[in-house]
Amino acid sequence: MPAVELIGVTKRFGEVIAVDRLDLAVDDGEFFSLLGPSGCGKTTTLRLIAGFEFPTAGSVRIHGREVGLEPPNRRPVNTVFQSYALFPHMTVAENVAFGLEMRRLPSAEIAERVRKALDMVQLAHRADARPSQLSGGQQQRVALARALVCEPEVLLLDEPLGALDLKLRQAMQVELKDLQERVGITFVYVTHDQQEALTMSDRIGVMNEGRLLQVGRPEDIYERPTSRFVADFIGDINLLEGRRVDSETVELVGGHKIRVLGDPSSSHVTVAVRPERLELMSDSDRPPDRLNRLPGRVIRRTYLGDVIGYRVDCGGVVVEVKEENRSGLVVRQVGDDVLVVWEPEAGGIVVD
Amino acid sequence: MERLLAANAWAVFAFFYLPILVLIVLSFNENRNVNIWTGFSTRWYGEILDNADVLRALRNSLVVAGVSTVCSTALGTAAALAVERFRFRGRRLFDGLLYLPIIIPDVTMAVMMLLFFVQALDLVNGLLGTRLNLGLATISLSHIAFNISFVAVVVRARLGQLDPAIEEAAADLYAGRWQVFRRVTLPLILPGVLGGALLALTLSLDDVVITSFVSGPGSTTLPVYVFGLVRRGVTPLINAVSTVMLLGSMLLVGLSLMVQRRPATLGGGNR
Repeated sequence: MPAVELIGVTKRFGEVIAVDRLDLAVDDGEFFSLLGPSGCGKTTTLRLIAGFEFPTAGSVRIHGREVGLEPPNRRPVNTVFQSYALFPHMTVAENVAFGLEMRRLPSAEIAERVRKALDMVQLAHRADARPSQLSGGQQQRVALARALVCEPEVLLLDEPLGALDLKLRQAMQVELKDLQERVGITFVYVTHDQQEALTMSDRIGVMNEGRLLQVGRPEDIYERPTSRFVADFIGDINLLEGRRVDSETVELVGGHKIRVLGDPSSSHVTVAVRPERLELMSDSDRPPDRLNRLPGRVIRRTYLGDVIGYRVDCGGVVVEVKEENRSGLVVRQVGDDVLVVWEPEAGGIVVD
Repeated sequence: MERLLAANAWAVFAFFYLPILVLIVLSFNENRNVNIWTGFSTRWYGEILDNADVLRALRNSLVVAGVSTVCSTALGTAAALAVERFRFRGRRLFDGLLYLPIIIPDVTMAVMMLLFFVQALDLVNGLLGTRLNLGLATISLSHIAFNISFVAVVVRARLGQLDPAIEEAAADLYAGRWQVFRRVTLPLILPGVLGGALLALTLSLDDVVITSFVSGPGSTTLPVYVFGLVRRGVTPLINAVSTVMLLGSMLLVGLSLMVQRRPATLGGGNR
């Protein structure tokens, strides 16, 4: 049984459709991310699960129980807010104890669980501090402890790392993932940061304009995007426009023919290839015939340290290539004639 | 230029406070005639305590102020919450109408109130055979009416600074509506509520125009009583009463400002 299940969920705010007939099932114990640009409906989806919004249509279930119209305090989920939303008039310990007090647990048990929760986030020594006396990262951890201490069936996280600086964010990403594996609670994580989603998630759902476009493991989403939006939103990608010639061949705008796998369903197709899947060769390298090749000229080179980026003009098509800066790499110069070469499997067909 | 501005500031200052100073000084004049200074005396302050009319008016004032402050604080806070936190039909209209009593001239408000109470009392007395009349109840009701707006304005300013996610977090942590209000919302807006209450108390204690319209026999409040006395000539007794009222008001306004200025740690940020 899925931990969270949304069936045909629609949410309207007046004329605006924030979430549009969304179907989603999050497995038990899974780290699931909702990824998308701001305004795509991911936060509204999270709020529908939390109970801060009620669906206009459709069904919200948690472990099979319909909760769509129940208020937040009657749902077995807890939330970590983007702004942390700590209670400023209470100490750290009082913040963490709040949910347990509301459930009228015996005070000895509350004290014990609060202590353990603060230990877990390494803040036992700040138990009597006020939230305003803590750093952003510490406030973040209090918010996490406050939600996890209630042992929810599902933990909802709304861009919880958004306000932290890069170093701290990366450290917290690892910490969060470790924590999730340790406590074994289902996480539903909302973010607009694709790197964050790829790093932490078991599965990712990519959203745009209130719709769920693709759901899959990080490698599925990255390697085999099914739509132009998903391909473009996650990482850098070359989108090559062309016309289908036969089931395996696409003629690009510039006239070059390339091989693609999978049956293109329409005559006009877009082929998506990651820059790091492309390789630069010279004519003299004699690439094997099964590889796709586009002759072109380097028009820009970008040195990034671990990788070197090239922009290559292939007569009508401009592609971006990233080569790993390994020893023995032939570094090209602007103006060099090159062959852009890749395995046919590396290119996927995406729909608009 | 700077000197000119400084001089101007002093002039304005004098313009405001000299009359007050004169009032206070003359309240200690021993002579019955205000304009003739014969010596320092606190006899008029003593006479306040001996004057049954003044004491009755003071008692009326305190009753009206107490009742209207409690009621208008509760209603004004509720109104602020409704406008700031809930979406309902006619919210914008309600929002606009809420502040009308602040804008309407006192006299207009007073006439409105008087007409309304006369009609309402006629109706009630006619239906129930009672003999209700204008009095402390009608004064209290009208004070509640105008004070709701002032309380709502002050409370709303505070609510506006409160991150709604904090209240959502409480609900998320299993608090019901009432618990969210009592444990989270109210403690955080309390400075606003107290400030509003003190403002309401001050306005109620100071009101003359509306009160004098809707008061009945024997229900005179202190400022209305003073106003009545003045028409028969100013005596040092009036100065003494006025000084007491002035100090009371200043104390209340000062308190009101103080509670509202309490540190505003209202969350919503990553400080």
